[in-house]
Amino acid sequence: MEIEPTQLEKAVLLKVTGRMDAESAPQFEHACERWISQGEKHLIVELDGLEYVSSMGLRSFLSVAQRLKSKSGSLILCGLHGLPRQVFEMTKLIAVFEVYESAQQAIAKL
Amino acid sequence: MAHEFARLALPASIDSLPKFLEFAHAGAHAAGLTPTDRDSLDLVLEELLVNVARYAYQPESGDVEVAYAVDEPGTLLVEITDKGHSFNPLENGEPDLTRTIEDRPIGGLGIFLVRRLVDSIAYRRQQGRNTVSFRFPGHRDLRS
Repeated sequence: MEIEPTQLEKAVLLKVTGRMDAESAPQFEHACERWISQGEKHLIVELDGLEYVSSMGLRSFLSVAQRLKSKSGSLILCGLHGLPRQVFEMTKLIAVFEVYESAQQAIAKL
Repeated sequence: MAHEFARLALPASIDSLPKFLEFAHAGAHAAGLTPTDRDSLDLVLEELLVNVARYAYQPESGDVEVAYAVDEPGTLLVEITDKGHSFNPLENGEPDLTRTIEDRPIGGLGIFLVRRLVDSIAYRRQQGRNTVSFRFPGHRDLRS
């Protein structure tokens, strides 16, 4: 899994590619924690390149979202497709996260 | 006719996952599963093997075995066996999927996903071993 961050005016965009599994999910969580501890309120995660996510990945997304929410911030997901989208749909997490088709749409909403 | 199972035993740890998945991919190929099915199979194996790695032997360590056989074209039979403490991962109740993001429990989704992706999942404790067995059918529409 690769994580490529870009600092924007009102948020940080994290482009995640590859597989988010039991081994790599903590890496995502740590990357998000670093930005949150630097005072970032909004993280936009672009998932066009995410091929796979397991429940360990879902845990990380939930944990980061709850952390940001408690600081009046938000975790915004975009570009979900394929198996990762189906996993979010099956667990109904698609309805509890802010999900957009593209990073452009997510940025426009902030 | 009895199925002939291919078997691989490795230490019950997250580090063993890539080797188990590679092993199972040979079964997926033999059963004629699609790349999408293969990713779903990876998900099922990861959820069950992470459970074994976390709970079966703590604080000791031990092996876990993955076995598969092609049932019919497009379907794999899989068995996951360990010699750890008695532990039935299927006992846990269904997670509440209706909560808001603040109240949503962080865990409990792994076995829920497994149940959605496989058929005939069962647990047995026999001769000091835990075995979870299931049928993995390809080409399943995963949408809720």
